[in-house]
Amino acid sequence: MQYVIIGSSAAGISAIEAIRTKDKTSKIIVISDEKNPLYSRCLISYLLAGTIDEKKIWYRPGSFFKDNKVEALLGIRAEKINAVKKEITLSNKEKLKFDKLLIATGASPKLEDIPGIDKKGVFPLRTIEHTIEIQSMLDKVKSVAVLGGGLIGLRAAYALKNRGKDVSVFVKSGSILSQIIDKDAAGLMQKRIEEKGIKIFTGVAAKEIIGAKSVNGVTFEDGSKHDCELVIIGKGVSPNIEIAKDSGIKTNWGILANEYLRTGVEDIFTAGDVSETNDIALEEGSINAIWPAACEQGRIAGLNMTGESETYEGSLAMNSIEFFGLPVISVGITRPKSDKYKEIVKKDAGKNIYKKIVLRDGIIVGVIFVNSIENIGIIGALIRNKADVTGIEDIMLEDYFDYGKIIPLIKKSQKGFKEPEFKETIMTLYK
Amino acid sequence: MKKIYCNIKKCLGCGSCEIACAVEHSKSKELDKSIAESPLPVKRRKAEFIEEGVSISTGCYHCENAACVTACMSGAMYKDEKTALTQHDKDKCVGCWMCIMACPFGALTRLREEKIVLKCDLCPDRDDPACVEACPTKALFSGTLKEFTKICST
Repeated sequence: MQYVIIGSSAAGISAIEAIRTKDKTSKIIVISDEKNPLYSRCLISYLLAGTIDEKKIWYRPGSFFKDNKVEALLGIRAEKINAVKKEITLSNKEKLKFDKLLIATGASPKLEDIPGIDKKGVFPLRTIEHTIEIQSMLDKVKSVAVLGGGLIGLRAAYALKNRGKDVSVFVKSGSILSQIIDKDAAGLMQKRIEEKGIKIFTGVAAKEIIGAKSVNGVTFEDGSKHDCELVIIGKGVSPNIEIAKDSGIKTNWGILANEYLRTGVEDIFTAGDVSETNDIALEEGSINAIWPAACEQGRIAGLNMTGESETYEGSLAMNSIEFFGLPVISVGITRPKSDKYKEIVKKDAGKNIYKKIVLRDGIIVGVIFVNSIENIGIIGALIRNKADVTGIEDIMLEDYFDYGKIIPLIKKSQKGFKEPEFKETIMTLYK
Repeated sequence: MKKIYCNIKKCLGCGSCEIACAVEHSKSKELDKSIAESPLPVKRRKAEFIEEGVSISTGCYHCENAACVTACMSGAMYKDEKTALTQHDKDKCVGCWMCIMACPFGALTRLREEKIVLKCDLCPDRDDPACVEACPTKALFSGTLKEFTKICST
């Protein structure tokens, strides 16, 4: 048996660990275009901010591949899959056979098609290489323009502000974090970020990045201009599906995965930011390019590659971010677009608290908690298990809401809450 | 796996477990001294009301497929290979709150200023966890699921 894994971030690493729980001896080969892949992608902005030292971003030990008896082909790209011959062509023109293959190629930053994007001093923030390059030029940077008000854009803005730079964020849409939270929550976050000295401009679209070889400014559609020595592009990511081309593997937005994380092609699996799976809240295929989903998919794909048949229930959008001491967590659908949905909201402006739950037919499909985040995982469990919350709607946003309050629902639930730990908590109830 | 179970039928929701937990995780490990400590000791266990007259003492359930471990982006939260317990390495924790987002039991405590989380460690310095010893009705039990099932049925 020869396992081949393309990609060595969250999904790839989790798959290796899962395979090794079942199969200690078969050969595993991992291919990564990154030379040092064992870092946590989510932590690179922390590193850029200087809030953690470099040691912390290596989330697995340097001996990980050796410890797990993995042959790692690093700095090499997998370019083509021949599903019939069960063979991969690599960027060094070598060919590699597989018995079971995992495509965990991840995603790449969307680089906007704006003139001047190739100038020196323009970066996305996706890899540790980007961080190192940005860091190496920081001495010469006074002012930074961040294009995009999503998670990465704002994390980069926070990091560079922390490094003493003058930072401005330019957002095309009307509010920041618009993919993750609603306008009210975004308003609270924006206020805090602006209070700490980062400038945010909404409703502005970049026209051109200007400068000779190096960037010295950005011009905008409204005719304005912003001088800066560094531009960060934070426009989200798109899945790296090129590898599936001409292989017979079906793609849509990402590589299509079934509930076993199998592609339609025998012995080829997919996991992580590249894979399109069932979204639990949307009840349709989607990509949730987030760390926890990548790890869970990698684990389940890895197990199934060894012959298990573990099912993947699907992914949920979920994000946790904190800026200057103000945390926000959101799960599922947070900006519902039709009248099928009902919202329950609780606000406490004095404490910067905002809580919202989104319901569809008596079932929670989304939640946002700002500054009072402790019990959001319990709401997440209700979403994941599609629990009917009729009867507890009034208390879900109260401070005293806790796990105890959902125990009667778990007891009643027919289909959900399958994990043994839920059963253990209720086994002595009403006996 | 040995961990803490709560017999809901016996739990009064009195909160003795919470106090014992906080004291055990204080510097002095003594109630009278610990309440004068700065920072104040923090509990990792909660007595929660289910409904009229029914309560449960909850904490980390050391889940088989722990959502907190899957969500942790720094490698701080991990499964101990030998004991299968869910452990937390606070030196690796960056305070991203991904585990809080993921835990279905609300079992993690957030330290805002220190930017780390705290969780049940089953009191490594003791034979029985402090909460179990402190429980006045013996609702809390430390042992395996098999042992707990047996004790509940007698």
